[in-house]
Amino acid sequence: MKTLIISLLLLTNLFGYEKGELIPQQMASHIGCDGDKIYVIDFFASWCGSCKKELPLISKLNEQIDKTKVEIIGIDVDKNVEKGIAFQNALKEQGKLNFRVINDPQNLIISEFAPIGMPTLYYVKDKKIVGIITGAIDEIDQKILADLKELE
Amino acid sequence: MKITVFLALFISLFFTGCIKDVKPWEKGTLSKKTVKESGINPILNQFEEHIYFSKEASKGGGGISGGGCGCN
Repeated sequence: MKTLIISLLLLTNLFGYEKGELIPQQMASHIGCDGDKIYVIDFFASWCGSCKKELPLISKLNEQIDKTKVEIIGIDVDKNVEKGIAFQNALKEQGKLNFRVINDPQNLIISEFAPIGMPTLYYVKDKKIVGIITGAIDEIDQKILADLKELE
Repeated sequence: MKITVFLALFISLFFTGCIKDVKPWEKGTLSKKTVKESGINPILNQFEEHIYFSKEASKGGGGISGGGCGCN
């Protein structure tokens, strides 16, 4: 009985993708991360304060990277898709969002990844998760740049 | 008997919707100003803090730490 209870408790945290796991083909092609590049997948929302700080830095980074080798993909998890798009457009007008964004109003993508916090970044190479950054980090662009150098 | 009671407790605890945790990506509603203690008007919170400070000479300690997501 003790084992059963412990197993049930552990199972609640075992549904998300972990480092080293392969993303199923269907999900990879839905996101568009099934090519031979390194993909940086950034989950964000309009209500997430840290995401607002990080998005301009990631966009700045997007201008510096070699796009034949690396692609940044944003996933907006706002349940209100109109609010999400308005948030994205406001950033785009200021030049603070310059990468491809997928809207996930039903949270189908993020519930598969199931990160433990927001914002969260995933590095994907050959459909395999090779790194995860959870939570707000100062100078995230420098951190991603350093990680990409290691991954290339 | 003991097992029945235990099972009943177990089922009521683990299979009820009341203990469903809020996932990090579902905190959009919780980050709204209307969910905060002072509601949509932050000045109400300042008034309350002023009462504590002037009547009880106590300040601070009323904050709630977040999960590091900076949602608020």
